[in-house]
Parts: sequence; structure tokens; C-alpha cells
Amino acid sequence: MRKYQNIGDKLIPIIFILVILVLWELVVNLGVVERYILPSPTDIVNALLMNWTDIMMHTWVTFFEGMTGLLVAIFLSLIMAIVMDQFPVVKKAIYPVLVISQTVPIIVIAPLLAMWFGFGIAPKIFVVVLVCFFPITVNLIEGLQSVDGELINLVRSMGATRHQIFAKIKFPSALPYFFSGLKIAATYSIMGAVIGEWLGGKAGLGVYMLRARHAFALDLVFASILVIVVLSIMLFYGIAGIQRALMPWEKLKEELE
Amino acid sequence: MNTCHNKCVLKVVGVTQEYNHKNIIEDIHIHLNQGEFVSILGPSGCGKSTLFNVIAGLLTPEAGHVFVNDKEVTGETGVVSYMYQRDLLLPWRNVIDNGILPLEIRGIPKKEAREKVKAMLPVFQLEDDGEKYPIQLSGGMKQRVSLLRTTMFSKEIMLLDEPFGGLDAITRLKMQEYLLEILKKIQGSVLFITHDIDEAIFLSDRIYIINGSPAHIIEEIVVPVKHASPEEMMTSEALRLLRSDILKRL
Repeated sequence: MRKYQNIGDKLIPIIFILVILVLWELVVNLGVVERYILPSPTDIVNALLMNWTDIMMHTWVTFFEGMTGLLVAIFLSLIMAIVMDQFPVVKKAIYPVLVISQTVPIIVIAPLLAMWFGFGIAPKIFVVVLVCFFPITVNLIEGLQSVDGELINLVRSMGATRHQIFAKIKFPSALPYFFSGLKIAATYSIMGAVIGEWLGGKAGLGVYMLRARHAFALDLVFASILVIVVLSIMLFYGIAGIQRALMPWEKLKEELE
Repeated sequence: MNTCHNKCVLKVVGVTQEYNHKNIIEDIHIHLNQGEFVSILGPSGCGKSTLFNVIAGLLTPEAGHVFVNDKEVTGETGVVSYMYQRDLLLPWRNVIDNGILPLEIRGIPKKEAREKVKAMLPVFQLEDDGEKYPIQLSGGMKQRVSLLRTTMFSKEIMLLDEPFGGLDAITRLKMQEYLLEILKKIQGSVLFITHDIDEAIFLSDRIYIINGSPAHIIEEIVVPVKHASPEEMMTSEALRLLRSDILKRL
């Protein structure tokens, strides 16, 4: 009975998306909207297949920027969260600045980065780091600080050092938080790279979309969007997969519930 | 009250602990002999856990001293083992790896520590559950793992802070018998916090009654005979009198 319900839960969104795609196709094919204003789903897939090698080349650039930025962000977040957790003064000083930094629109900062770092790959990676850093750090800090105080007292009573408390208790119990932040950051990473490219560059999906838009090739713009969506979803599930592999007990919890 | 008959493993002398400039516990004198089971009986929230935190070295008392084997250990952690009401098992570790935590903290290599824990599993009736994660265990089993972990740290002096308080009445009775059985095998000394008179009488060799504000030791009672089962205990006339005597003092 539960198994059928699970399949149903997965089918509902798929059916919903299919219905929208069919309606979209119909609206365009019946001539309600002009093809050069809104290409139909089949037009988009066709455009994608026709320009496959070109698009994949640009996709690879964007993917590289996104991954590099994400890894740098993870590294910085780990350091930042650990320092903020171990030294409350640092947390008090930096946390509000972190929040303020997130209120500045990234689209305004990106052109500045281009002015400072040129039109190469560096400013794109910088944008990715900026958007990914925050969700990972905030989640990790929250995880580190919400560890059970009694549990910490227990290991302290066993004579554990600060380092042992962190490595054996705090960090493992913060892992689920870390991964929720990481999943958000991963989906942002591709978007961040595209925004960086959109404001000027030599290659990448952002650059490609900009060129396609200038040529009124909206089917190619949509094809790029499709690639971005698929790439982001793949990253999301990839990280969810890593999480499941690293934390088998979480899977047990789901099975029991 | 300060006398030690057999070999005295733990001695608490004149401990006073305050919180927010108000004394919570005052001038506490207790001792624990080797192999003995001693309960500290008092109403909830009277400061029993504060006393344990002092003995465990998590708090340094305003006044007084804690001695283990005649050596002063006031404010020193890592000397006695401590078990809480909540099992506090690490959800990301299976039963064996939860058990090795205190050994790991002492710096014993994981492989060696695992062997030690595995050897103890049968004593705790966990021989088939070593690879299970806490989420797969029942409440009583979790407390057995927690007890195993406590004994892996030290069985010389174990502080048990209402370890069965979170269990249902039937599981609790089972766990009490089971605890005595284990203690017979491993020969540990236990200081046990409870607010349950029957539990204290059933388990203990001696009972300290603690009460008042600030809390202090009102009475030290020696339980005449250990009984085979809680059922037998509840119907014994001598113990009925003891129970009503304790009730009057609380």
C-alpha cells in the first residue's frame, strides 16, 4: 500500500510537468504565440541537438567555473564556521557582516568584479564563491551550535579535549546541516557562473545565451536554460547521493518512518 | 558519616555549590566503598545532578573536596564515568563504535578498542546487535548500550543519573534486575541518583536522602538485605516499614 503511494508521489509532479509541456506545444503550434517570441518544447530540443557540440563546449566552461567556485566556497565555509564556532567573539563580529553581504544584489557586484579582475574566468568563480559561501557557512554554524549540551558534558566528563569534542561529536552531528547548505549552494553554483558570464566573457553558457539573444535565436536561449536546469538538478542529486553514502544511518531513519 | 569501612573509592567532603549567588547544595558529605551500590534519593530538581556534575569534575565547587582513592580530584574530568537519563548515543555510530567512544578519547587505537567492546557485548546481552545503529534499537536496548559505554570508561566508580527515568514501568523493572546482574559480573561501584523510593531500596546497599533548599544530606540509611526480585521486595514487611520511614523524611 505504501509502495503504491510512493510511486504516486513521484508520478504526480511528472504528470503535471508533462501536461504543461503538451499545453505549451499546442499553444505554439496552433499559432496563438509566434514561434520567434516563444519556441515550442520540440523546437528547443531540436535546437539543442543541432548545436550540441557548441553548447557542450560552453557548458563545460560553466560547469568548471561552478565546480571550482563551489569547492573554494566549501573550503572557506569550513574554516569560517570552525573559527566562528570555537571563538564566539569572532562569530559576534562577523555574522552580521555575513548577513549584510547577502543583501547586496549579486547582479550589481558582478560588473565591479569584471572591472577589477577582467573578463577571464576569475571573476566568474568569484561570483560563484559569493553565492555559495553563505548557505554553507550559515547551515554549518547552525549545526555546530545546536549540538546537545548534555552530550558535550558527557564527553567532557570522559576527559575529552576541545579538539576531540569537535572531531568526534560536533562535526559529525553538524554533517546533515552541512549537506542541506551544500545542496542549496550546488544549485546556486551554476546560476552564479551564468550570471558572471552574462556580464561579459569569452565562453560559457551565459556568454552563449547573450549571443543567441542578440541574434533573436530564442530557441537557443531556451536550450541553454534547459541545460542549466538539468545541470543544477544533477548536481543537487549528486550531492544528495554523496550524503546518503556518507550517512547510512539517515537512510535507516527514512526506512523506519 | 565520613567513615570508610571497606576500601573507600570515592569520598565527597563538605561540597557546596552555588548558582546565581544562591547555594544549591550545601556541605555534602558522602562516600562510596568498593563494589558498593549507593543511591542518592531526593525529589526532582533538588540539586542531585549538580552534585554529580561536581563529582564528575564538570563543575568546580565553591567549597569542599572530592577524593578518588584518597587522591584529590576536585574539578578534574576523566576520572569517574557518568551516565545520563537520556541515552546520548551517537546516531552516526553503530553499537560497537558507540561503545568505544571513551576508549578512543583516551587514545586507545580503534581496532583494539573495538575488540574490547566486542568482548563485553554478551554481558550486556547485545551480542547480536553490535552492527546496529541506535535508531534500530528499543529504549531499553539503547540504555544497555549507554551502560556498556559507561562501563568501558570506568567501572570503578560509575555515576548513574536516573538512568531508567525515561523508560516505561515494565522495561524499568527489567533494567533494574539486569543492572544488578551486570554489576555482579563486572564488580563495579555505583553512585545512583533516583527519586523513586522503591528503586532505591531494591538496588542499593545504602541510601542517602537529600532534600531541602539548599539541599543537604538528611539521612544515611543502610538497606538490611538485598532482595531477589522487585516483587518479593514490595511484599516484605521490613521493607514496607523502611519505605514509610523514608517517605516521612522526604
